[in-house]
Amino acid sequence: MPETIGVFICECVSNIKDSIDIDDLISFALNLEDVAIAKPFNVLCSDEGKEFIKNGITENKLKRLVIAACSPKEHEATFKKIAAEAGLNPFLLQIINIREQCAWTTSNKHLATKKAERMLSSGIKRVHFHEPLEAYESDCNTDVLVIGAGIAGISTAISLAKKNRQVYLVEKQPVIGGKAAYYEKVFPSMECCSCMIQPLLNEVLENENIHLFTCSKVESVKGYFGNFNIRIKSFPRFVNPSTCIGCGRCSDVCPVIVKDEYSEGIGARNAIYIPTLTAVPHKASIDKKNCLHFSEQLCNACVDTCHFGSINFEDSEKIIEVNVGAVVIATGFELFDLKNAMQYGYGAIENIFSSLEVEILLNSTVPSGRIVLIKDGSQAKDIALIHCAGSRDKKHIEYCSGICCMNLLKIGHLLRKQLPHACISDFYIDLCLPGKEYQAFFNNIKENDRIDFIRIKNHDSLVISKENNRISLKYQDIVGEYRTAFFDIVILAPALKPSKDTLRLARLFDITLDRNGFFNEGYPILSPVSAAREGIYIAGCARSPMAMASAVVDALAVSGRISSTLIHGKKLKIEPLIAEISNDLCSDCKICTGLCPYGAIDYNSSTKTPSVNKVLCQGCGICASSCPSGAIICRHYTDRQINAEITGLLG
Amino acid sequence: MDLFEPKIIGFLCNWCSYEGVDSAGRSQMTYPHNFLPVKVMCSGRIDTQFILKAFSEGADGVIVFGCHLGECHYKDGNYHMMRRFALLKKLLSELAIKEERIQLEWISANEKDKFVMIISQMVEKIRGFGPLKISTKSNQHR
Repeated sequence: MPETIGVFICECVSNIKDSIDIDDLISFALNLEDVAIAKPFNVLCSDEGKEFIKNGITENKLKRLVIAACSPKEHEATFKKIAAEAGLNPFLLQIINIREQCAWTTSNKHLATKKAERMLSSGIKRVHFHEPLEAYESDCNTDVLVIGAGIAGISTAISLAKKNRQVYLVEKQPVIGGKAAYYEKVFPSMECCSCMIQPLLNEVLENENIHLFTCSKVESVKGYFGNFNIRIKSFPRFVNPSTCIGCGRCSDVCPVIVKDEYSEGIGARNAIYIPTLTAVPHKASIDKKNCLHFSEQLCNACVDTCHFGSINFEDSEKIIEVNVGAVVIATGFELFDLKNAMQYGYGAIENIFSSLEVEILLNSTVPSGRIVLIKDGSQAKDIALIHCAGSRDKKHIEYCSGICCMNLLKIGHLLRKQLPHACISDFYIDLCLPGKEYQAFFNNIKENDRIDFIRIKNHDSLVISKENNRISLKYQDIVGEYRTAFFDIVILAPALKPSKDTLRLARLFDITLDRNGFFNEGYPILSPVSAAREGIYIAGCARSPMAMASAVVDALAVSGRISSTLIHGKKLKIEPLIAEISNDLCSDCKICTGLCPYGAIDYNSSTKTPSVNKVLCQGCGICASSCPSGAIICRHYTDRQINAEITGLLG
Repeated sequence: MDLFEPKIIGFLCNWCSYEGVDSAGRSQMTYPHNFLPVKVMCSGRIDTQFILKAFSEGADGVIVFGCHLGECHYKDGNYHMMRRFALLKKLLSELAIKEERIQLEWISANEKDKFVMIISQMVEKIRGFGPLKISTKSNQHR
């Protein structure tokens, strides 16, 4: 049965008309098979033009539509909408780009008209094979899994919980708050960090919509956007968190003393412990590796002391399954391992600290905290602060983390308050002080804190060694002079790196990492918090080093994205441009299942049937072009449609 | 004698390369009319059969444009095309078609100058080769 095709040609005022002979193009179109009408119009995207197309469709009972106009990138959506309004399925439309790809680029009107004829012919031949397509709908779960209970994860969880969603917050440590829990003060306002974040941490515990899993990690992931099934593994705490009141009597009687990893190994803790005074949840947990109960000694000191019977040595690993619609990865950062940059002497020479260690020493809530002392117990007289340790250095980490300068300046400021008579020297190559507050923060410190700022020439000239019980620092100053200075304490500001679990999570969720090892943003500028895989979001330092304020911005952005896509009672709308597999033609080779970038093709080996997950499929067509049996149809870009287009262009 | 005007089918992925060619248009840069565009969602969608079809229907050259490696909208579609392309070159030589008649290029949305340079050079190159003569049914009809 002949199909009635309507051809509309936009003159785009003079943009197309001046370069292409419209009359020639009209008579050419009218000679093609099944073309019922071919009409020019001054501006098809104007209100009059839209009416003109709509009337053309209804009056001529058009079944298919070809519009020769500007790029589909400009007005495909406009014309699809017009087709739908006139009762025509929008996928029965083909746009021919005779403006950007013909009229504007071909100097000779005759040649441009000939090229436009070929393009128009290809569109008409193609549209013959177009099929009406409808968007699919899929049920969705509006609940969310958040991995990492640092400031980014917590802010995301609280924001989403307010939207009446169940949020499952998974944290590998027994406490929440992440690195922010270490800080005494935050820059640039120098607010008390604990005062600022403590209400947030408590809200996590109190909010009925937030389900916190401490000492836990994500074990496996199944499903897709809107419908993920996640298995969480919870490691035993050996203390019942619902009865423990956090009195700490158990720690008092515990005979074991080990290095405390929460204070970067600076302080000490017991085998049963609460990491910090302000730890949330304020519950004890037992470190099985060091606890004597699990050794041959069968120590029961804590059990005998606990008034609440909270200690349970029988506690074991648990697997919890949750169903969610989206996943937020907010796994934060760790510091560049300074032992990899030998020139700084870190780990080899005493009294050389990383900035994070000093944060802990300065923190009044950590058992070891309060005053920075030389390890023999005396106060430091000469202190060096060194910027960019291992960063902006092609040998180690090339990028600038952007926040370490401010962090080190903050440390200088806090040290000055603690040690009013010490000599503090700050060695830098460049200072990174962007934004509306940072420069003023620096100016203030420079004017008031009596810190000697010394600009050095480069990383390579700086060498730290031990000389006569003091730390010697050799460097080349900005004019090239070699100099040596002596210090009691050296504080290094290392780069921020992705946290340890990043690679494992990338594999688990099938998302990519960037060249620096951070999670890749789907589109760094326009969609910075979405991973390339739909339904997976990244917030905070897991995607790039950033200050706390930016991590909160990320958290709110993620929350906004999720709130606007996964909506209670609404179905997910899925574009119909996806692949479909014909079971009759499929030869069970399973090549496509491995090629699909989204893992959208599933092969059921018991029924010998392949299937495409409509939510996961993005319609790229890689499977269709790789199927040796021609069993895969890529909707709207089928073999027949593309072949017809080629024939039309060359005819 | 009239100058030989080759017909060159150009496959464009919907993302970087289609935008790149559009941006040449928006800048009103002139390039040879011989370039006849076919849009697909991803360069990974381009079946070798489409390219063979183009030659059998009278194309004198085929050029495939995709996003730069590592910038594919669908993660790695352009890598699939690159692998397929290497095999296709071998196949073409067995069909006695000069492998230089096909070309694979990566262009980003703002590389309009690069696109114009590539397509201009390709037209000149194919012009030098002359029309493709292959014995197919559609060829015999003409």
